[in-house]
Amino acid sequence: MRGGSAEGFELRGPSTPLGTLLADLWRARKVLVVLARKDFYARYRRTMFGMLWAVFLPLLQATVLAIVFTKIVHLATVVHRTNGAHVSFPVFIYSGIAAWSFFSTNMPSAATAIVDSGGLARKIYFPRALFPLLVVTTGLYPFVIGLGVLLAMKLALQHSVTVDFFWVIPGALLTVAITAGFGLVLSALHVYFRDVRYIVQAVMSVLFYLSPIIYAVQSAPGALRHVVGYGPMAGPIEFMRLATGGADSNWPATVGVGVGWFVVTAGIGMWLQSKYDRVFVDLM
Amino acid sequence: MSDAVIEMEGVGKRFTKYDDRPTLFNALRLQRRTTRSHLWAVRGVDMEIQRGESVGVLGRNGAGKSTMLQMLAGVTAPTEGLVRVRGRVAPLISVGVGFHPELTGRENVYVNGTVLGMDRATVDRRFDDIVGFAELEKFIDTPVKFYSSGMFVRLGFAVAVEAEPDILLIDEILAVGDFNFQLRCFERMEAIRGNGTTLVVVSHNLNAVRGFCDRTVLLNQGQKVFDGPTFEGIGRYYQILGQAPREEDDEALPGETGRERDTLEILGFELHSAAGRPTAHLHSGDEGVFRVHVRALRDVTDPFVGFTIASESGVAVYSDTNRMTLFPSLLAGESATIDIKMRMSLAPGGFTASSSVHRAQGEGSVLLARAEPVQFFVSGRGMASGVADLGGQFSLERTP
Repeated sequence: MRGGSAEGFELRGPSTPLGTLLADLWRARKVLVVLARKDFYARYRRTMFGMLWAVFLPLLQATVLAIVFTKIVHLATVVHRTNGAHVSFPVFIYSGIAAWSFFSTNMPSAATAIVDSGGLARKIYFPRALFPLLVVTTGLYPFVIGLGVLLAMKLALQHSVTVDFFWVIPGALLTVAITAGFGLVLSALHVYFRDVRYIVQAVMSVLFYLSPIIYAVQSAPGALRHVVGYGPMAGPIEFMRLATGGADSNWPATVGVGVGWFVVTAGIGMWLQSKYDRVFVDLM
Repeated sequence: MSDAVIEMEGVGKRFTKYDDRPTLFNALRLQRRTTRSHLWAVRGVDMEIQRGESVGVLGRNGAGKSTMLQMLAGVTAPTEGLVRVRGRVAPLISVGVGFHPELTGRENVYVNGTVLGMDRATVDRRFDDIVGFAELEKFIDTPVKFYSSGMFVRLGFAVAVEAEPDILLIDEILAVGDFNFQLRCFERMEAIRGNGTTLVVVSHNLNAVRGFCDRTVLLNQGQKVFDGPTFEGIGRYYQILGQAPREEDDEALPGETGRERDTLEILGFELHSAAGRPTAHLHSGDEGVFRVHVRALRDVTDPFVGFTIASESGVAVYSDTNRMTLFPSLLAGESATIDIKMRMSLAPGGFTASSSVHRAQGEGSVLLARAEPVQFFVSGRGMASGVADLGGQFSLERTP
């Protein structure tokens, strides 16, 4: 005879109280880790180079960009910053790419995660917010590898690494947080509006050029500087630039905007999730 | 003190059907609002299930069974009312859900076990039992994409039952896998039932409901219309099936030349056991008597009956008539009882018997009355399945 269990639930009406949802999410954390590990192994299984791809792809991207901008477009190989520092251009670009590629690969899949979870979500209950968070968690490993590549590039091209490199930690956290925030909002909306998938793709292709990846915020002209500075990825990228010695002088403002993006998206996201958590399945 | 693990109070679930799906345009009011209609899949359901009970949920397709199960699994929330579940629910409908084809059986057992609420140590401990039950020792380190569908289902079931939930929700799952495995599933379910797990069985397979459930809840058009002992519930279920809209003028008997009302009426049509009691339940191989009570309103010359037994899926199992050996004629006002006695060599399952009374007219016949069909079920001895139990004798003799 099995004794009473503390588990269980009580459903009154379609929406879930936020507190209940957060408690359920916390309880599902083990499931999150196990599913993330599964997705991760499954992703690299049966590939010849396995997880090396996680290193190679961002490296290739950085190299191509560096060659294009220095050899073909003839920009300087060294970026001189207003603070007197100078940064090798590949390192400068790659510090932006590291944060951007996490956002640009994971955010679109997080946005469709609830619908894509299909079978699992229809049969068994987890807070639906788990699915976008799962995508973000699965992306952590290549992200950490990418930051390792950044460190290696800095050592190889600039022969110096200072304690400043630890700025990548808040940079990574902010990147992940903003990606998760967008994931929470968009995955909820996507259940109702399937256009979201395509809108996200369109926005991402524009946002690449509107984020300070291949240039610095302050080198954007006039009004465009504000657009760039207020972009969701500007804050995390500035942290990465702090780590590699190439940050703008007003980085605190840009970082503040980034934190703002997280607070707003996570807030709206959790509100949507708690409102529709247990009725998403009706439209799937 | 009540030990309810499942409580439903005034539960209703409304689905919104969009005639065209909501799009961003509609939401932004850029386009006229979509037309939508509402459908109550379940409404006004009150129910309480105690710890350790086994309850069957019956109903026609679209009666709200799946919606109810989804609410018990917590997958969807009611539009109104309260659903309260105490304890860990594992839906057996989730067999194999979350299996990743690229991962091996072993890896998938760990993933699926966690999803169903086991921790790693528990999976470690039960791993051998799971694999043994699924009979997949040799293939456990093979990616599951190379599994046959049967292997897939076996592994899924094995993990689900080993998760030892407090409440097990069972959908049509028992219909899959090979026969031996089904048998072991049934045995396993018996064991689970014995150790205090609450079972909720939603199935068209009346044998499963009859085998596991003491209590049955009957849903019709989203409402609970019956809640009580299973044998009674199954009878009521058959009544509802019988109420299904039928062709008013069903097919004529070969040679039927006409129909006559007001010549004869059927007062009753029932199934009796060999002991002579009305019943809706026989054992395979028992003797059964179908009894038709008739009263002649006018003189009836050369009456005879037509009789058919059909399986649950509507296949005619047996059809017969005494057209060639007519009954004696009846006078106006006379009543009579017609018995059709037979050995019920049927395999376990539900059946429908129908009968009609005719009178011969030259080479043809005239339909006088048709009885309300009788539904009954047959439970098995041994392992026979199919439609008929032909009572095969198995023997082996060594040849020199």
